[in-house]
Amino acid sequence: MAASTDRELIVRARRGDRNAFGELVTCYQTSVFNVCYRLLHERGEAEDLAQETFMRAYDRLHIFDLEREFGPWIRRIAANLCLNYLESRKLTAQLDEERDADDNARPEKQIEVKERSEHIRDALSSLPPHYRIVVELRHYQELSYDEIAAELNIPLSDVKSHLFRARKLLAEKLHASD
Amino acid sequence: MHLTDEQLNEYLDNETTEHVEIESHLSTCDECAARLSALQTLFAEIESLPELTLSQDLAARLLTTPSLQLPRWLTLTVTLQAIAALIAIIFAIPFITQYLTPVLQTVYVPSLSDVLIEIQMYFVMWMQSIQSFQLPIISTEILTLPKEISPAMLSVSLLGIFIIWLIGNWWLLWKRPNPLT
Repeated sequence: MAASTDRELIVRARRGDRNAFGELVTCYQTSVFNVCYRLLHERGEAEDLAQETFMRAYDRLHIFDLEREFGPWIRRIAANLCLNYLESRKLTAQLDEERDADDNARPEKQIEVKERSEHIRDALSSLPPHYRIVVELRHYQELSYDEIAAELNIPLSDVKSHLFRARKLLAEKLHASD
Repeated sequence: MHLTDEQLNEYLDNETTEHVEIESHLSTCDECAARLSALQTLFAEIESLPELTLSQDLAARLLTTPSLQLPRWLTLTVTLQAIAALIAIIFAIPFITQYLTPVLQTVYVPSLSDVLIEIQMYFVMWMQSIQSFQLPIISTEILTLPKEISPAMLSVSLLGIFIIWLIGNWWLLWKRPNPLT
């Protein structure tokens, strides 16, 4: 159930109170931005998509179920927006795959000293978009397999195969970069 | 027989119905226990990413965007607004008529039938003018083509057309921005 303050803010925002919506943005902007950043790995794009997420949420406030939590709801909107954005960037997706292949071909690049979190972000951003999104929904938004399948409108078998394959790729990349 | 990757993943995700069997196997198989431990480490690494902070306040940025200036439901779609306006007009007409009746009594306002009759009259006049329409008579001498076209004349004409086509296309495409850049 949405926290009482969130619920009050949503009800006020639905009535056109922009300040109430502003308070919701202030409260959730960091977590929404982090969803976008994990998926896009580019600060400017992540901030733009985070803003777009809140605008979409504002459009859909009237259909939001007040019995649910606002945070998971808006983070899922962000994840879906980022997935659509990544899939629309066909060229970038191809570049990701090329970079992926390139890294495997030149392991010496991976011995560069980096922060561990930066390694993980790099590894995440090298995954194809449909792998990235299941990792985001499972590990950061803690959705079950069934919930992910419903959210992405894909079969349960695809959720499992994408997730397991993504983890295997991540393990390979993180292990190789040690 | 070792556990599959799928079984280990599902076990850690708490999405399996074989908890007892898997735990029983793990307690006796070092290799599978090591694979599970590696997977747990990966989970911990993935989930260890720190939260980053924004470089700007989105709330301030959003509240200045024009689309949030009005309540969103007012700006939803043009169609909805048009329907609302139409309904408002329909409801307003009786009230407006009531207030305007004293004024209208002193002013001549043509009735709908008057307007229709006038339109019909114009239509009839237009039809009559079409019936009596004649194309202007043009002297046939002006349209007479030369009886013989010499090869030289034909070549010069074709060359002229080609040059005009070339110049025209060059002018159209010159300095046109490349849509791919």
